[in-house]
Amino acid sequence: MLESIKQYLSSNVTPGEAGSMFWATIYVLLITIGVSVAVLAMTWLERKILAHMQIRLGPMRVGPHGLLQPFADALKLLMKEDVIPEGGDKIVFRLAPVIVMMAAFTVFIVVPFGRTAAATDMNIGILFMLGVSSLSVLGIITGGWASNSHYPLMGALRSGAQMVSYEVAMGLAIVSAVLMTSLATGTGTLSMIGIVESQAAQHTWFVFKMFPLGLIAFAVFAIAMIAETNRAPFDLPEAESELVAGFMTEYSGFRWSLFFLAEYTAMLAVSCIAVTLWLGGWLRPFPTWLSGPAWDLAFSLVPGLTFLGLGAMCFVGTVRMPKILQLRAQTIGLAVFGAILFATGLLLFVPGVRERSQDVFWFIAKVAVFQYFYIWYRATFPRYRFDQLMKVGWKVLLPVSLGVLIVTAIVGVRQELWAALSGVTR
Amino acid sequence: MGGAIGGDTVSLSPILRKVFLVDLVKGLGVTFRNQSENERITEQYPMERPEVYERFRGQPRLKVNPESGESLCIVCNLCALACPEQLIVVKGERNPVTRRKEPVSWTYDLSRCMFCGLCAEACSTDALELSQDYEMALYSREGMVLDHAALERGPEPVRYAR
Amino acid sequence: MSNGDNRPDLLDLDTKQETFLDTTEMVLNMGPQHPSTHGVLRVILKLDGEKVLGTECIIGYLHRGVEKIAENRTYTMFNPYVDRMDYVAAVSNGLGYCEAVEKLLAVEAPPRAQYIRVIMTELCRIASHQVWLGTHALDIGALTPVFYAFRDREEILKIFEKYCGARLTTHAFRIGGCIYETYEGFEQDVKNFCTKFLPKLDEYEELLTTNRIWVGRTKGVGILNAEDCIALGVTGPVLRASGVEWDLRKKQPYECYKNFQFDIPTGVNGDTYDRYLVRIQEMRQAVRILQQAIESIPAGPIMAKVPKIIKPAPGEVYHSIEAPKGELGYYIVSDGSTQPYRVRVRPPSFVNLQSLDKMVRGMLVADVVAVIGTLDIVLGEVDR
Repeated sequence: MLESIKQYLSSNVTPGEAGSMFWATIYVLLITIGVSVAVLAMTWLERKILAHMQIRLGPMRVGPHGLLQPFADALKLLMKEDVIPEGGDKIVFRLAPVIVMMAAFTVFIVVPFGRTAAATDMNIGILFMLGVSSLSVLGIITGGWASNSHYPLMGALRSGAQMVSYEVAMGLAIVSAVLMTSLATGTGTLSMIGIVESQAAQHTWFVFKMFPLGLIAFAVFAIAMIAETNRAPFDLPEAESELVAGFMTEYSGFRWSLFFLAEYTAMLAVSCIAVTLWLGGWLRPFPTWLSGPAWDLAFSLVPGLTFLGLGAMCFVGTVRMPKILQLRAQTIGLAVFGAILFATGLLLFVPGVRERSQDVFWFIAKVAVFQYFYIWYRATFPRYRFDQLMKVGWKVLLPVSLGVLIVTAIVGVRQELWAALSGVTR
Repeated sequence: MGGAIGGDTVSLSPILRKVFLVDLVKGLGVTFRNQSENERITEQYPMERPEVYERFRGQPRLKVNPESGESLCIVCNLCALACPEQLIVVKGERNPVTRRKEPVSWTYDLSRCMFCGLCAEACSTDALELSQDYEMALYSREGMVLDHAALERGPEPVRYAR
Repeated sequence: MSNGDNRPDLLDLDTKQETFLDTTEMVLNMGPQHPSTHGVLRVILKLDGEKVLGTECIIGYLHRGVEKIAENRTYTMFNPYVDRMDYVAAVSNGLGYCEAVEKLLAVEAPPRAQYIRVIMTELCRIASHQVWLGTHALDIGALTPVFYAFRDREEILKIFEKYCGARLTTHAFRIGGCIYETYEGFEQDVKNFCTKFLPKLDEYEELLTTNRIWVGRTKGVGILNAEDCIALGVTGPVLRASGVEWDLRKKQPYECYKNFQFDIPTGVNGDTYDRYLVRIQEMRQAVRILQQAIESIPAGPIMAKVPKIIKPAPGEVYHSIEAPKGELGYYIVSDGSTQPYRVRVRPPSFVNLQSLDKMVRGMLVADVVAVIGTLDIVLGEVDR
C-alpha cells in the first residue's frame, strides 16, 4: 500500500491520467475542504477589507481581529430555526440550495491548480465548467418559486434573467481565448490544463496576446463574471433597499448559508476560469523573460516569503494589541496564529515542498487578487438599475465580445497563413 | 448647470474617458486610499471611552461645599419652575441655626429628562449641574428617579458582568 | 426615462386603470419599516409591472404632538422641543424658533450673537447635507460615502458638543441671543474644519459625480419643473435645482447674512442629479460663509435685554428661515400670557413630500427609492 502511494506521488500525474479512483476521491476531498476553507476566509476578508475601505474596523471581538468570526457565523446559522413557508413547494424548497451548491462545487474538479494538481483534466474542461455553472440559475429560480411570496419570485426572475444574459457574453469571451490556444500547436484545446500549457508554449499570457484583443476579451469576461455572480455593481436582485433580499428572503439558517456559500464558491469558480484562460493559470510571472535557475530560485522563494510576511503582520498586531485584561486571550491567540503562519512559511522553504507548491501558490495568489477586486468593487460602485443592467449586458458586452471574437479569428488566421507561407515548422 | 464639477478637468476627450472607464477607476482610487490606518476613527467602546467635553450635558449632580460637606442647594425652587417636564420636586425647611433653607427631599426623574440644561442654568447657587457622565443605564425603572443621596453621589452605572 | 407629457394627471388608487395588455396591476406597500424610507414613512405604490402609476404616502407614525405641547409650555421651555423635529439639523430649528419669538418681542440679538448663530447654522447645514449625501448614496447602492460623510459630521458634532454640550439635540440658542460664549479654541476648530473639509468634498465628488453608474441612476430621474415646484410650495435645494433662484438668506435676509458674500447654486433640469450637484455646491458655499464669518466675529454681548419671564404682547408672527431642507417657518400666535396660544411649524420636508407623487409617475420601482432620498425628508419634521 505504501509502495503504491509513493509510486503515485512520484509519478506526478493527475488522478484522471492515472485512472485511479482512490486518488481522485482524495483529490476531490482535498479540493472540497480547500474551497470551503477559502470561502470561510472570504467571508472574513470581505468584512474586514470592506470595513477598512469604509474607514471602520470590521469584526474585532470574536477572535483576535475577528479571525474566528466565520466560525461564529457558521455556528449561529446552524442553530437557527428552520422555517419553511406555508404554501410553498416543500420538496423544491429544500432542493434549491442543494442544486446551487452542487453546481458551484462541481466545477472545481477540472480547475487546474497546477500542472498535475487537478482532480482530472477533461478534454472539454472549459465547456464543462461553463455548462455546470449555468445550472445554478435553475436552483435560484426554483428557490424563488418555492418560497410562495412575490418578493422572492421577482428577485429570482430578475436574478435568472441577469445571469442568463451575461453568460452569453462570457461564452463569447471564452471562445476568443480558446481560439488563441491554437496558435502554437495548430490545434486548439478546450482542456483547462491544455489552455495554460499553450500559454506557456506561446510565452505570453493570453491577456497580453494580440494586444489589445486579449485585454478586451479579458475585460468583457471580468465584467460579465461580476454580473454572473450577482455582485456589486450588479447586485440589484439582492439589494437590501429594494426587495429585501431577493430570492433568498424566505430562507433562514442553514439553507441560507448554503446560498451564501454557493455565491462565494461561484465567485471563486469564475475567478479560476479567468485566471486559467487569461492570466496564465499556475505559471509564475515572467517565465521566459526572467528565466534561468537564479530567477527560478528567486520566484520559488516567494510563497515562503509571503507566509513569513503574513506571520510578521500577525506579530506586529500582537505587539500593538491594547494591554488590558480582557484582550489577553486574543493576544495569545493572535501570537499563536502568527506562529502557525510563520511555521508554514518556513516549511515552504524546504526544497521538496517548494517545488510541489509553486504552481498551486501562484494560482491561488492570482485568484486572491480577483477576490480583492470583487470586494473593492462592492465598496466603490453604486448599483445598476435592472434595465440599465440588461442594457449593459446585451447592448454593450455582447457586441464587444462578438467583435473581439471576429477580430481575433481574423488576426489568428492571418498569423497562421503567414507562418505557413514562411515555412515555419512546429 | 448648477455648480461646476469639483476637481480638475481631465485632458482626455469624453469618448476615451468612457471607453477606459476613467470615472470608475477614479472612484476605485478613492476607496483604496481610504484604507490606510490613520483614516479610521472607530472607537472600540467599551474598551476605548470617548472624550467628553466640559460643557457636556449628562447626568445631573448636586454639588456640595467641599470644606463643610453641606449641600449648596438653598431650595429656591427655580430649577423645578424652569424644567419643561416638571420632573424636579424639591422640599425644604429652614434651618433655624444657619438661617438657610436646606433640602429635605429632592427628587429628579431621569426617565423623563431631556437634558436641555434649563434647570442648571436657572440654579441660583450653581448647585445643580449636568455632569459629563453618560452611562446611565439601569435594570429597573424605579432606579431612574434619583433622590438627594444619589444626586450627590454621582452616577454609578450598572456595569454588565463579563 | 420619463417626460411630462405621458404622465396621467389624475390617479384614483381604487379604480382599476387600463394598462398595457390589460395585465393586473399590483399594489406594493413600502411599509413603515423599510431600509430606505428615511424614517417611518409608508408609501403605497400602484405598479404596472415595474412602472409606477401612482403613489400615496401615509405619514403620522412619528407624530408626537409637538405643536400641542407648545401650548402648555412657556416660550423658553419650548425651546428644547423644537430640536427634536428635524433631529438631523437641530440647530436651525432652534434658530428659526428663537428668531420668531424675537420678532414677536421686537428685540434683536446683538451682533456677536448673530455671528455665532450663523456659524453654528452653517455648520449644521453641512452636517445635514452630509447625512443626506450618505443615505442617498446608500439607497442607490454606493456603500462607502455614508461612512465618509459621517466622519465629517463627527467633526462638526464635536464642535457642537464643545460649544453647547450636546451633539444632536443642541438647544444652542436662547430667545434674545446665545447663552454660551464661544469656548477656547472655537475659531481654531472651525478654521481647521474648513481646511480639512474641502479636499474631502472633492474626494466625494471624485467618487460619485462623474461615475457613470451614479449618473445613470440619477440623471433624468424624478424631474420636477419650476412651475410644479412653485405650485406645490416646494422650497430648498429641490426648488433651486429646478432653476428657480430663491434662497431666503438672500431674498429675505435674516441674522447677519447680508454681511457675507456667497452664491446660490441653481440647477437646470430639476432631476435628481441636479439636486445632488446643488447640495454639494451648497456645502461649498457654506464653507465660504464660515470662513468669512469666523474672520470677522465682533466682540460684544451675546444676549439682548430680554425679560426673565417672556410675556409678549398679543399678536401673531410668521418667520421663516432657510433650513438645510427648505423653508422652515414658525407661525406663533400669542395671547399675552407666558405660554403661546398656538405654534404652527411649517416643515420643509412635509411640503416637499407632496411632490413625490408627481415625480415618480412613470418611473421604475428602483427610482422611487432614489427620489425619496433626493427629497431629503426627515420624518421627525414631517410628522412633528
